Amino acid sequence: METQKGTSVAPKQSQSAEQKLQKLRDIYAGAPELGRVALERMMPELEQAVRMAPRATTAGRIGIRQGKVSEFLLIFKLKPGGADRLRALLGVLGGNFQGADAVGTVHDMRFVLLDNDTKLLFATAFDGDWDPYIADFSTKIPDPLDVLFCDCEGYPGMHSPKVGEYLLNHQVQAEGWYVANPNLTVAETRRLEKVGKAVDELLDKIG
Amino acid sequence: MSTLDETAVGTPPAQALALDLHEIQATVLRPRPTPYFGAHVLLRVDDARAGRELLRRLTPRVDSAASWWDSARPWLSVAISYAGLQALGVPLDSLQSFPEAFRVGMAARAGQLRDEGVNDPKNWQPPFGTAEIHIGLSAFSDSEEKRRHILAFARERYEQLRGVHLLVLEQFGAQPGDLNPLGYKDGIDQPAIEGSGVEPLPGQGPRIKAGEFILGYPGEAGVPLPMPQPDVLGRNGTYVGLRKYQSRVGAFNRFLHAHGSTEEERELLAAKLVGRWRSGAPLTLAPDVDDPALGADARRNNDFNYAMDPHGRQAPFGCHIRRMNPRDTTLSRLTDVNLHRLIRRGTTFGAPYDPNALSEKDDQVSRGAYFLFISAKAMATMEFLQQEWINDGDFIGAGSERDPIIGLQEEEATFTIPREPVRRRIHGIETFHVLRGGEYFFMPSLSALQWIGNLAETGSIEQKER
Repeated sequence: METQKGTSVAPKQSQSAEQKLQKLRDIYAGAPELGRVALERMMPELEQAVRMAPRATTAGRIGIRQGKVSEFLLIFKLKPGGADRLRALLGVLGGNFQGADAVGTVHDMRFVLLDNDTKLLFATAFDGDWDPYIADFSTKIPDPLDVLFCDCEGYPGMHSPKVGEYLLNHQVQAEGWYVANPNLTVAETRRLEKVGKAVDELLDKIG
Repeated sequence: MSTLDETAVGTPPAQALALDLHEIQATVLRPRPTPYFGAHVLLRVDDARAGRELLRRLTPRVDSAASWWDSARPWLSVAISYAGLQALGVPLDSLQSFPEAFRVGMAARAGQLRDEGVNDPKNWQPPFGTAEIHIGLSAFSDSEEKRRHILAFARERYEQLRGVHLLVLEQFGAQPGDLNPLGYKDGIDQPAIEGSGVEPLPGQGPRIKAGEFILGYPGEAGVPLPMPQPDVLGRNGTYVGLRKYQSRVGAFNRFLHAHGSTEEERELLAAKLVGRWRSGAPLTLAPDVDDPALGADARRNNDFNYAMDPHGRQAPFGCHIRRMNPRDTTLSRLTDVNLHRLIRRGTTFGAPYDPNALSEKDDQVSRGAYFLFISAKAMATMEFLQQEWINDGDFIGAGSERDPIIGLQEEEATFTIPREPVRRRIHGIETFHVLRGGEYFFMPSLSALQWIGNLAETGSIEQKER
């Protein structure tokens, strides 16, 4: 029974630090010389890292989290013409994703067309788990999501109760995940921005 | 929960009904009586035939929601856990049509429910956290005598059956003034359900699509939620999350005393934690002093929105009722509040609230509440609430602060009260409610109870080997 929210996804805990480092050396024995030399020079840093508690934990059913920030990456096959439509839509939006602003948990999003416009890679960093809010997206912002993902093969639409399962089936978990400020959510960042500004104004008045 | 019956006793619904009320169990729509006297009975089924026989015998006292306003007659609700459905011999393809969180049970979802530390299932009271709880009966009535009768009715039915074993019988209610274990009037704000025929009270908010609460009807997204199969089993059923909490009344009172030097200050702090005075009067309408007449008036005590209090100067953003139903509060996360509501049947057990209980020993005195949280997606909603609205504060811009009443507090936890010119932040708030156990149940329709009760007779299944 899994009762801890911070379940580690790092390599097996049973291995000792020395064993892990030795295994790394062994596997790098097959690397280009450039990499082998670099690895040896990095050993002091790696010896520290391997002894520290892993910072990455699981997020929801798939995905990794550091602190409060999770990674979420999806790869879809696109229908014919889908890439052109998506490119045109993203061109009009010009990065002004008002829906994402409203969601309030999305740190960033990237849309990458792969393999000669036949696939879409969507990657984002967001706060917490995505599945608790999936129904909210369905009732609050179905159109921005449907227009973005309509050309993904098999996409059932935001109103379908199967949409969560669909996304899960297209999620690819990252092997590694780093977050500079793992405890700063989007909401907290916005709050701190406001507090910082207010403090500056106060100090300006005093000074 | 006295709110509905105070206004609606004996008032049959005037509007045309969209819901099959004759099929839905009464407890879904019927509030506790006032006063209320009841009991929760947890049973284990060792023999599928005996279990099905029990269901057939109990069904005559399982009221339907068709007479939701009539709580004068004592009634039973019957709910069945996943292990219970297995034990009753429900066929495998039906079992597999239930959602995963229900199938694995509440203890196995502790990670998603943030049931950690003192609330960890390994600290629960047996039989909670085992697969032994199969059938949950809840008896409701408005007098001690009626409770005796309805419990005697139930006992006669399960005691005669050798294959059914009593695990827990806990009486609830009979509290002075029907107050909850911390001394507040409770159960006031319930979701209004479209098509139920229950006239919403002022302030109850927009009617929410029935499919959010009862299986087989369109939900807020316009489509029904996935339903267990076959149709007769799933339709008009719903899910119930049962949670038993021990109230740490000593810790609660010590907190009030540590941060309030007069009775007035302590009562104001107690109101700030909940968002209502103990009388039920909401701070949004009675910000400075209690108004017991307001608290007692079901047509006024919930008639507000938070546009009246956008900065939380009356009801703090982090207070219990604003977290559990933020209404029109501007949230930092895109949220459809209508998707995260639960029908609550709070049932207080044990010693009544004692304002003079201050010792750590008082925290151990048996008193608290069993909550029935009812919804067509109770598992998902409870996990959402535990993760987002109870054990976090980000959605209201309160960082990692937690619900002051039912949150699991970390070391050095704080509670913020917005104020002019600067907020008051109180340090050292403790966990006032400790989880002692819980389980997920399916509350079938009356036809589904019969279907399960007659499984072997219809020949639709093989007798399950145990």
